[in-house]
Amino acid sequence: MAFSGNFMCTSFKKELMTGTHNFTAASDQFKMALYTNSASFTAATTAYTSSNEVTGTNYTAKGNFLTSVTPTTSGTTALTDFADEVFSNVTISSVRGGLIYNEAATGDPSVVVLDFGADKGASSGDFTIVFPTADASNAIIRIA
Amino acid sequence: MNSMSFGEFKVDVQTTNNRGATPEEVAHRCVGKIVAFSEDAHPALRDQAIAYRDSIEKLLVIYMKQAIQSDRTTVYNAIKEAGHPTLAEYIRKM
Repeated sequence: MAFSGNFMCTSFKKELMTGTHNFTAASDQFKMALYTNSASFTAATTAYTSSNEVTGTNYTAKGNFLTSVTPTTSGTTALTDFADEVFSNVTISSVRGGLIYNEAATGDPSVVVLDFGADKGASSGDFTIVFPTADASNAIIRIA
Repeated sequence: MNSMSFGEFKVDVQTTNNRGATPEEVAHRCVGKIVAFSEDAHPALRDQAIAYRDSIEKLLVIYMKQAIQSDRTTVYNAIKEAGHPTLAEYIRKM
């Protein structure tokens, strides 16, 4: 039971073909929840769960809404991005990873699993998720 | 090529203790979203991009500090009008 890497959820790939996800919606679509290393997410993860979600001061269950960037293309690659997300003034510890999921879709279907590589924490401070450069080689979600 | 693939990815995590992020820290994150270049780029182009990125980062820091100061003025007045002049003055002096 532990994080074992970053994964694009297989169910998300299928749901792209069935029109479940819309990254151009104005807001309140995608959320990111944070978890301890007791969570065991893989590519087979299909939806948000409250199991092993972190708790702490100013952290709200189910996490924060993300600001998605309108999908674009670079060469033959399609990509989309999220603005860096700040969990402000939180006291949380043993945060090993996160799950991005679609809050607006029925069942809160998952998008990607993020493994932070080590336990992270903040004490009366900011916990910031820095998304990679939105280009054809690094963007968080890209289809080549 | 007719196949389709999803690329690998990773995120970075930055944390602070007993404070928020400084304008310099936020500006550094922000400029990475504005200016990006390939490590394989021609050295002349890469140097130009780095110089541009650095100048943008310094500009961002200046304006972020102004935004913070301006917001502090707003907060100062809100707290003062709520009847807490001592607290308002403390915030103004931060």
